[in-house]
Order: sequence, then structure tokens, then C-alpha cells
Amino acid sequence: MRSSGSERRRSPTAAFFDDLAGRGCEPLLRNVSGTIRFDLDDGESVEHWSVTIAEGDVEVSHSRARADAVVRLDKSTFDGMISGRVNAMAATLRGELVPEGDLSLMTMFQRVFPGPARA
Amino acid sequence: MSSDLVQILDGNTFVVSDDRGDIEASSTDPTGLFSFDTRFLSKWVLTVDGERLSALSVDDLQYFEARFFLVRGTGTVYVDAKMSVIRMRAVGDGFIERLQILNHEDEAAKIRVRIDADSDFADLFEVKDALEKKGVRKNRVEGGRLVLGYERGPFVRETRISSTARASVDELGLSFDVTIKPHGEWTTNLAVVTAIGAAGERHERTKYGHQRMEPRPNMATDLETWLADAPDLRCDWAPLNEAYRRSLIDLAALRFRPLAMAGHALPAAGLPWFMTMFGRDSILTSLQALPFTPELAQTTLRALGAWQGARLDDFRDEDPGRILHEMRYGELTAFEERPHSPYYGAADATPLYVVLLDEYERWSGDRALVRDLEYEARAALNWIDEYADLQGNGYVAYRRRNEETGLENQCWKDSWDSISYRDGKLPGFPRATCELQGYAYDAKVRGARLAREIWRDPGFADRLEREAADLKRRFNRDFWVSDGGYFAIALDADGRRVDSLTSNIGHLLWSGIVDKSKARSVARHLVGPALFSGWGVRTLAEGEGRYNPIG
Repeated sequence: MRSSGSERRRSPTAAFFDDLAGRGCEPLLRNVSGTIRFDLDDGESVEHWSVTIAEGDVEVSHSRARADAVVRLDKSTFDGMISGRVNAMAATLRGELVPEGDLSLMTMFQRVFPGPARA
Repeated sequence: MSSDLVQILDGNTFVVSDDRGDIEASSTDPTGLFSFDTRFLSKWVLTVDGERLSALSVDDLQYFEARFFLVRGTGTVYVDAKMSVIRMRAVGDGFIERLQILNHEDEAAKIRVRIDADSDFADLFEVKDALEKKGVRKNRVEGGRLVLGYERGPFVRETRISSTARASVDELGLSFDVTIKPHGEWTTNLAVVTAIGAAGERHERTKYGHQRMEPRPNMATDLETWLADAPDLRCDWAPLNEAYRRSLIDLAALRFRPLAMAGHALPAAGLPWFMTMFGRDSILTSLQALPFTPELAQTTLRALGAWQGARLDDFRDEDPGRILHEMRYGELTAFEERPHSPYYGAADATPLYVVLLDEYERWSGDRALVRDLEYEARAALNWIDEYADLQGNGYVAYRRRNEETGLENQCWKDSWDSISYRDGKLPGFPRATCELQGYAYDAKVRGARLAREIWRDPGFADRLEREAADLKRRFNRDFWVSDGGYFAIALDADGRRVDSLTSNIGHLLWSGIVDKSKARSVARHLVGPALFSGWGVRTLAEGEGRYNPIG
């Protein structure tokens, strides 16, 4: 993700993926290998975030290449997920995000989303 | 539930109808076609010339298929035996129904056959409460099919009904004007497909052409394979052979394949209303079935591990390391009117997860899985000490944070009034029930073995064993009701014993937490007159304040 970070205003999305890629091995993903691509639609254009996980090591790019799982959703929904306002599973059941391909990748990946802010 | 209902199912898709094969759902009559916790058909009624039919007999062929033999007329005496109507129904991503009408007369029969169809798209949780729907229902005729639809924002559920015979389709059903030759027959195959999608999407989910009468090409084969893979049991006493085979088939019916588990199955909690992943039920059934079908335990461990709590979320009663209680897929869950996405309100599933992992390895020798799930097992063990000690006294306790739709009792008995003192009063929260301490003890002892032998962490193993020994010592002192010779069902928020005599003490025997000197007295109670009814062990002993022989 570092390649495009300077060109783009550092959005919450970029900050989330930067942080994920910078963690080294993420224990919640250490049994996971594969590529999951998030296609984030803001109404005008679609941003692609491709997350390649190799036993917990995470690399992020804007590649549009084929992925093992593709998740299409509104950017505002994704912003909600990475700030803990939107629960990924409930959003999936509502039809706000449409996962295709390897569903187990998305199941494992949702573990890294934060919980809601607590009083 | 009335005994003449006919149920067939495949995972979380099931059809409950009357003995004619008809569905006429109401709040008091929970029939229908259900899938993913949603009712996709609330009406499915067959008439011939506007008349309902009568059942001659029903063949329960398999847990996923049934055959209904019908005649015209609705009296107790058959008013018309000139015609036989046979409905053969098989479930799977909806269902397929072959409708066959035989004319037994020497003359041609000219009849009008009609299927009335509709759906209320009720969430399973709504079925009993008959709640008002918040979205919009709209049926349409599309390309010769009847499509029953429901939309609430992006949430879309559809039932698509088609027929191989030419039908006249309207928004509430399909009609057929049929002439059947003397001694001839007429047949159509009806496909009812459940579709789950986002708004704007119209993707098909049917896995079979409706010419074929198999719910899935591999369903019967799958059952044969399941039976063949289980250990072979032979006994010269035939009833044991039959009971064993029946149990394996029942276990097969209980299988549920979570979407993210690539077709692997775990045991659901119960059919048909609890056909989903549960922490407690999926773990305990897997544990009991280990000698016969260890693959169920493997899927349970992987699926529950994947969904292990990772954050604090009060609505879902989620904590890091906590194993889920229940997952649901219906509308109320989708719109967060219920917390089951998934809901984590169980205090027993987390220690039981470690118990199952250890027991699974002992039966299967599959050390790779124990290594794969090291993080999850450690997180579960950590949950016991870091998140479950709500009374600050070193015992596992629970108190829901979701006060509206969360569960009050998050233990073996999860009905609201299951934990009471002898006088019938209910204790406050948090509550530390006795079996939870047994599971925690067992989890630590077993976790220590895994740490020493497989994770190669003797320091952690030593610590767990010390903690287990300390827990056992304190438990035998603090929970013991000395004037009764048994363990209290719980400690209340003040650390006082909730002193009623209950079946929960049975769990303590298999956990190993009971001092040898106390075990005999506990066992005597379990088979004694206050707890043992002659048919089984009562959940609450006769004589306790809330004891009710039929409750």
C-alpha cells in the first residue's frame, strides 16, 4: 500500500489497510492464505483494495487482478465496518455487501474489524 | 406441535406441511418452507376442481423426502376414488415436487388443478410472535414463473415457482386445465427455489434441473457414504443394530453446513427450528459422537474457531476469545433487531471448546488441527480468566450486557427461570453456575496436556495445572451444600450458594472437578428419588420451590 499512499489523501480506508499491512504477522489471520479484494463504490467510482494474506502476513495493493474472494460494497458501509459502527455479518445478511468466491476468507477477515465504541 | 405434520429437511432448509402436503401457515400453525431462518412459503395448497384433497397415507422416505397419497374429497369416508393424486416432495435449496394424477376410470377426466402459493417471508423469530413486516411484499409473474418477493432496502428474498407442465400463472398460484385419458395419468414437476440476494441481483440458486427428482444429485449417495464411513457395528441382538443405524441417520439429518466451511458439516442444535450453528449444542453433540463421526468435531472446532469473538460488542455479548452461542441468518438478525450475527451469550461454550479440542485429538490423533487452532484455544483459555470472572472470585460467571434481546441465563439451562434457590426465588447477577466451573476446570486440565504435548509450552501447562488444582480446591469448598450432600447450582452475586438440587451436578462428574469423597453422594442424588423419575433425571429435584412435574 505504500506505493499509492502519498498520492492519495490518507482516508480512513487507507489508514486501516496501512495499519493492517504494517502489523507483520496478524495472529487472527495466521491460518489464512489467499487474496481478498474489496471493491468500494462511492457512487462515482470504485476503489479496489486487494489484500493478499500469506499465513498472517498481509500485503495491500490497488490491484484489480483476480482474487479468491471479492467483496463489493458502498464505501460508506466499509467506513462503518472499519470504525466499528457496522457489523460485517449483519451488513452481509442485509445485502449491503456482496461476497463472492471463497466465503471462508471473508469469515476469517471480518475478525480484524474493530468492535463498536463503548460507553 | 401436532403429530400429523410432515417435516423434511436438508440443513437449514425444511418444509413442514400437513399430511396432505399442504401449507397454510398462521401464527398458531408454524408450517411452511423455511431456509436460512426465513419462511419462503406460507401457503401451498393443492385443489382439484376447487376442492381440497384427503390424505390416504404418507411415506416418510428419508429425512429429505416424503410422498403423499391423496384422494379427492375431504370427508372421513372417501367420496371419490376415481382418481389418485400423488405428491412426491424432496427438499434442497427449496424443494421439488412431482405432482402425479392417475385416472382410474374408463372415461377421460377433465379437471382443473390449482396450486395456491404465497409467502409472508417471516423471520423464524417472528413466526410465533406474528410481527408486522417492515418491508414490502410483491408477487409477480415472470417468464412463466411465479415469483414471490420481499424487499426491505437492499434485503431481498424471493421464492421462484415453476412447472414443467404448461401452467396458467397468476400472482397467487398456478392453474392447470388437464384432460387425463381413461386409465391415464398426468404429471408435472414443480420447482420451488429459495433465493437470497441483494437488491438488483437476480441470480439463481437452484442446484438442480426440475426434470430431475433428486434434491441434489448426491443426496442419497451422501447418506450412503455417511453410513458406510461410520464404524461397523454388528450384534446378534437385532434391535441394537437398528438403533445404531437409526442414530447415524438422525445424526445425518442434524448436519448443517455453514456457508464458509466448504461443504463440511457440523451438528446443528435441533431439527427443524434449531438448524444452525450453536456453541453449546454443536460442541456437546460433536463430543458425544466422537467415536463414530469425528469429522463433525473437526468442522465444529474450525467453524466456531473462525467465528470466535475478537472484540468487545455489548449488543452481541461478544468478548475476545469467547465462543459463540447462536448464529442466525434472518431479517431480524440482518437489521440488528436480534443479536444473532452471531450472538455470544453463552458462558459454557468457551471452556467446552477446549474440552472438545482435546477429546478430538485423543480419538483422532489429529495433532495438526490442535496446532492450527492453538491461537483460538489459548484465546478461549484466556477468556475464562480475563472476561468470565465477573464476580472477582475466580469463578466463571455471566451477566448479559444486551439487556433487551440477550439471554439472561447463559449456561446449560438457558430459560429465564432455570436458576433458583430452594425457596423458588431467583438470584441476582452475575451468576456462577456449578457446571461452568466443572468445564473451566476440565478446559484447564486438558489445555495443559495440549500445551505440554503439542504446543511445546511446559510453562503454560504448569500454570494451567496450578490454576485447575486451585479451582478444584475452592469449588469443593464454596459450592458444597453440606446439609444436602450435593453442589449448589450456582453462587449468586454475593458469593452465596444458590442451594437447590438440580441435574447440573451430573456435569460435574464428567468434568473431574468433584473430590472423590463427594462423588458418591452426588451420584446417589442423581439416581435418588428427588431427581430420578424412573424415566430419567429431573432437571430440578422434586420438593424444590420451582419444581413442576410437567413444566
